Amino acid sequence: MGGSESISTGEASQDHLYRDAADKYGSALERLARAYEVDPEKRRDLIQEIHFQLWRSFQRFDARCSTRTWVYRVAHHVAASHVLRERRTFSNLVNLEELETLPDKDQGQFAADKRINLERLSMLIQQLKPLDRQVIISYLEAMDAISIGEITGLSPANVAMRVNRIKNILARRFREGGGHAE
Amino acid sequence: MRSDPPGNDPRTIWQNQPVEPSTMTLETIRRKARELHAKTRRELLGSIATPLAVVVFSALGAAIFNDPLQRIAFALALAWALAGQYFLHRGMWFATLPGDAALISGLEFYRREIERRRYLFHRVLRWSIGPVLLAIGALLLPIVTGGIEERGAFLKMIPFLSLLGIWIADVFVIRMRGQRELQREIEELNGLEKESRL
Repeated sequence: MGGSESISTGEASQDHLYRDAADKYGSALERLARAYEVDPEKRRDLIQEIHFQLWRSFQRFDARCSTRTWVYRVAHHVAASHVLRERRTFSNLVNLEELETLPDKDQGQFAADKRINLERLSMLIQQLKPLDRQVIISYLEAMDAISIGEITGLSPANVAMRVNRIKNILARRFREGGGHAE
Repeated sequence: MRSDPPGNDPRTIWQNQPVEPSTMTLETIRRKARELHAKTRRELLGSIATPLAVVVFSALGAAIFNDPLQRIAFALALAWALAGQYFLHRGMWFATLPGDAALISGLEFYRREIERRRYLFHRVLRWSIGPVLLAIGALLLPIVTGGIEERGAFLKMIPFLSLLGIWIADVFVIRMRGQRELQREIEELNGLEKESRL
């Protein structure tokens, strides 16, 4: 009896943790899925998979890291697995160093339409290998180097170097009359 | 660095993108958990189809043909396919799922996933494709050892042998290229890990 009580308490806590996380980070998770999957149908499946794995993961949540780090780790893990499953080859994915040298097809012009800019940004992210994607998504979600390091496992110095590269790439590609991305 | 006008800032563009409201409820999630169990069962059944075909084919081959060497080859293919079922599935269905790995970083998880995929390919090659090739080899044994009198049979088998050649090329050439890419990716991640430790 005690066993079943503790199971139901555990389940309730798991449900509660999941509901809180889904409320707080639901939109960020949708954006994250957009960065990993371009096809709307597959993206919907990916989002469902992220939510499902997040719910499962809260069975083991022990507050060793913040809920935010936990949520992003699970989401990125699921999405990275998705990329590995969907793309059987890495030859068309690049890292940040390679992305810097790739020519910008749109010549750095900022389009008046925000939707087009968002598509360009999403396409740029989708060219990247999963680890660099994690860094750029975290940067776009306004995380600091320490938080990005906790999620990715890279040292803060390495994260700072990558974020700097990302800023330069984004500044070059989203330039409007000489303006720079932050 | 100068700040952009809000409409030009990639962070603003990213964070202000329209998102669909989530339709995930706890009931949907529990249904997905049940579906996952059913899918795992289906995949498990699907994965035994090839070895089962090898077992049936080898058993028939061992029963029908009289050549002792051929019978031994069929028996070996049968034993290999059966042993493969044990080794191939040992641990395969208990592989870490993303949700269980939240305590490890993205770098570590990504490297483990790539290593797992690489290892799985070698395991499939050894325990699933190996017996298939041996069983086919056992079937072709009289042609190889029979000499000139079997030449007619050899000519008849050219279409089959061509398909077999294409399949082997796919497995050993194209997939091996994928393996090399995975290896390069692992080396890159190892380098990153080393840099991060410094």
